[in-house]
Amino acid sequence: MNGTPRGLNRFLLALLGLVLLAAGAGLVVLATVPSAAQWWQGYAGAQLDWLRDYENRSRLLLGNESWIWIAGAALSLLVVIAMISWIANQGKGRAATLLDRPGDADDDGAAGAVRISCAVAEQALKSALLERTDLLGVSVTSYDFARQTAVKVRVLPRQGVAPHKIAAEIAELVEALDELLGLEVPVLLSIGTAARSRFTKAERVR
Amino acid sequence: MTGPMQRALRRETHSPRSALSVVVAVAVAALAIYCMLEFTLAALGQPSWLVHPVDAGAWLAALPGPYSPLLLGAAGVVLALLGLIFLGNGLLPGRRARHVVADPRVAIVVDDEVVASALARCARMAAGVTREQVMVVVSARLVQVNIRPTSGIRLSEAAIQAAVEAELADMALDPAPAVTVKLADSGVIGV
Repeated sequence: MNGTPRGLNRFLLALLGLVLLAAGAGLVVLATVPSAAQWWQGYAGAQLDWLRDYENRSRLLLGNESWIWIAGAALSLLVVIAMISWIANQGKGRAATLLDRPGDADDDGAAGAVRISCAVAEQALKSALLERTDLLGVSVTSYDFARQTAVKVRVLPRQGVAPHKIAAEIAELVEALDELLGLEVPVLLSIGTAARSRFTKAERVR
Repeated sequence: MTGPMQRALRRETHSPRSALSVVVAVAVAALAIYCMLEFTLAALGQPSWLVHPVDAGAWLAALPGPYSPLLLGAAGVVLALLGLIFLGNGLLPGRRARHVVADPRVAIVVDDEVVASALARCARMAAGVTREQVMVVVSARLVQVNIRPTSGIRLSEAAIQAAVEAELADMALDPAPAVTVKLADSGVIGV
């Protein structure tokens, strides 16, 4: 439920896949079909001659080198920046404020604002869940999702614990949190396994 | 359940492809940094580090060149396979091994491993065997319960199936998997 740009990920991966697939298929054709190799050498040779010619014609007065190399370097820099921003966009979207409501004259006449930090909901849920012995790990994080703040709870139960019982008990906790805060925060509960739960013994009595 | 949480559940049950994206982005960025270095050296009129851009173009235009068709063909196949992997990652749905649990207030997803260990515990209780004799495999639409009975003790397949199905019905998974119970032909001794 974080803000990872999934559509962009898939689009860029598919695009790169198509490019590599075309290059690989072209290389196989070049290696196996002599007439295709002849055509390629003629076609690419002409392009290369044009490039050499253009390089000679476009030399700058300063330094006597063609400007196309500067353009190439600038283009590469743009690609590097695009790739870094693509990486930086993975897993973004953490939120800090759960509720931000300004007071107005219609409400109670008082100026000011009510602001509740996400830490309130996170700490309340986490401290309640950490008391349980059937959970090996608990993490609670908040995200900006679909223009509202949502809380994600990830719990890692011991082996053999029934997930629907944990789910029902956490749903009760969330309802208690709703009453505490006075608003319904969207909550996502994810029940998973930790590497640790495979090596610890199953809970026999519960 | 409101619309945004439905979307959240869909996102939780499908892969975001972020790990492969980061790997690809790092590789492409490294290639671009190398190109930038060579272009800059060429622009400054300095000797190139590995290969001048024009020489690289000439090498590309002279393919297949002096290389054996076998080598070039193999390189092409490797490139195409790599492309196919990326294309598959971009286009396939990429379902994660997770199920959705219906709940009016909270959006819930459960890893299949958790479901499997809970069902294994249930099957073990119903059959009266030890942990090591039960193996449960959970996939999107099928739960397979494999049990090796203790030698000399007859187990009732129907009773185990009923117990596992009741537990599964309590979980209210979406999509709801079917249950198959398989008792091994040979039993184990000394457990």
